Amino acid sequence: MSQTLTSDQKDALQEVTNIAMGQAASTLATILSTFVTISVPRINIPEVSEIGSAISKMVGNGKEVTAVRQSFAGHLRGEAIIIYGQEGCRDLADLMGYDEDIDQSAERELLLDIANVLIGACLNGIADILQTGLTFAPPSIMAERVIINSLIDPTQLTWNNALLVEVNFTLEARNFSCHLVTLMPEDSIERLKQAIDTFMENF
Amino acid sequence: MPTPILVCDDSAMARKMLIKALPSSWNVEITQAANGLEALEAYRAGKAEVMFLDLTMPELDGYGVLETLQKEGLNSFVIVVSADIQPLAQERVKQLGAIAFVKKPVNPADVEGLLRQYGVEL
Amino acid sequence: MSASLRDFIVDEVGVGLFAVDRQMNLLLWNRYMANHSGRTADQVLGHNLFEVFPELPRKWLEKKIQSVFILKNFAFTSWEQRPWLFQFDHNRPITGGIDYMQQNCTFMPMKGENGEVETVCVVLFDVTDAAIYQRMLKDAMRRVEEASNRDGLTGIFNRRYIEHALTTEIKRVKRYGGSLALTLFDLDHFKKVNDTYGHLGGDEVLKEVSQRVAANLRETDILGRYGGEEFMIIMPATDQEQAYQVAERLRELVAAEPVIFGEINIPATTSMGLTLQADHHESAADLIHEADLALYYSKRNGRNLVTCYDPAVHKEI
Repeated sequence: MSQTLTSDQKDALQEVTNIAMGQAASTLATILSTFVTISVPRINIPEVSEIGSAISKMVGNGKEVTAVRQSFAGHLRGEAIIIYGQEGCRDLADLMGYDEDIDQSAERELLLDIANVLIGACLNGIADILQTGLTFAPPSIMAERVIINSLIDPTQLTWNNALLVEVNFTLEARNFSCHLVTLMPEDSIERLKQAIDTFMENF
Repeated sequence: MPTPILVCDDSAMARKMLIKALPSSWNVEITQAANGLEALEAYRAGKAEVMFLDLTMPELDGYGVLETLQKEGLNSFVIVVSADIQPLAQERVKQLGAIAFVKKPVNPADVEGLLRQYGVEL
Repeated sequence: MSASLRDFIVDEVGVGLFAVDRQMNLLLWNRYMANHSGRTADQVLGHNLFEVFPELPRKWLEKKIQSVFILKNFAFTSWEQRPWLFQFDHNRPITGGIDYMQQNCTFMPMKGENGEVETVCVVLFDVTDAAIYQRMLKDAMRRVEEASNRDGLTGIFNRRYIEHALTTEIKRVKRYGGSLALTLFDLDHFKKVNDTYGHLGGDEVLKEVSQRVAANLRETDILGRYGGEEFMIIMPATDQEQAYQVAERLRELVAAEPVIFGEINIPATTSMGLTLQADHHESAADLIHEADLALYYSKRNGRNLVTCYDPAVHKEI
């Protein structure tokens, strides 16, 4: 079964994600008391053999990253991963008002919280168009300070496709960006595509 | 005579959604643009008496379009249509000369109310 | 489901359940919370959470709960970052090291008819067992690593093993005669490598240099990581000239090509010091001390050098 999106489906999914992330930006801004912009420049569904390289390409080859994962279930099921660059982590802590040097636990908590918010916003937004709800398991740290190329081992993936969403998340003048990857089994991607088609027919 | 309006968004889906949200009684001639450069081109050709403008776009974004329009005398009613609804974003575009801000997903009643407020004949 | 069944489940479910409104007033307090806190529902319902429990980390918790009201999204806390929300005793009194019940919490937004969140419900899980197992696992891993002869990063022998090997070799020479050379070497400007390329860059240099040296030793030589960026080579049945030749070859080999780290080339060089086992050496420490002194002179004379220890020249610093 081919899981590629038609350009119309891609465009619609991108717009829906954009709207969801826009709403997330405004709520995040309230919480962080800072101006937040979130854009979704790219959406892609690579095959399993290409997931690793697609992620490396998206984030930047050889880059050192920290990643948080969170699983979700419902009409769509799968696992979402937020990938942070190292510089970003420090800037984020700074902006979140941790004046003193933050310890490792506080930093992790921050990364988990932000991942939870971004993943929730993005996937709930998508679930909204499906008119369904998702439940989320607690997020956890997947890897810390690893080279991006070693983050995902394709031989360990049991699902055939991933939905790659590149999210650029910027706080005020600082360019803090992170990336969102959603891994879903085929049946979920198929459902997602059907839902997008239904959504498009309504317009 | 129909009013020339421009709908500018990089997403075809978003343009479709917006066009669908316009009041059906409004007599308009619609031009579409997929980025800021195309929007400026249409504006210069006189096709944008009213412009619905997205903010995040490739090539030239919404802020860039507004800045250029300001330099060129701003002979258009610009309504910004964006998913980013933070007060600061709204303030920025208004400072750049946009008359209003509509949030995505676009609600037809919002658009109609806005147009009536500015005395557009529907 | 009947209301009495719901009430029964809420009280007996075996996890803590409580709920607050926007003013942080308690709306729900199940029996689990009552039993562990010593405050009954009657005593706390309708009261402000932070007034009833002033010991709570208010600033942080308030922010957390507010974020659920605003974002309308589930939120979570984990014992790994924040061991507990409430200072509850745990039921593992004989297990040392853990002071209070370790808790994971889930914060759930409950929306009213207008779509706004009116209530945040918190589920508190006792994860003390998991925390204890994790601690035991970490301890076990550390012991396994300690017991192993290998350095975790580079895969060559670790300090514990190489010191033991050196002591054995010295004893052998003392008993059966023959020669024994010892080389210590150190990566030049390693701190700068770490500062410039990050710890991962530094780690890559340590690994690559270890591999290059290990691949070019003679069969009987023993290589180990002695400290952070310090390495030791035991060279049995080797006189000074042979030892110098081996060391010189290794030094050139490291310096010849940079270490490739992603798309970056990191140049690496080593400073080496070597000495020979002699009758006046009491222990491994004496031998190591002389090699270290020679190494120091390699550094002082410009680095990327091999120095043989000479008691006439290499005085105590």
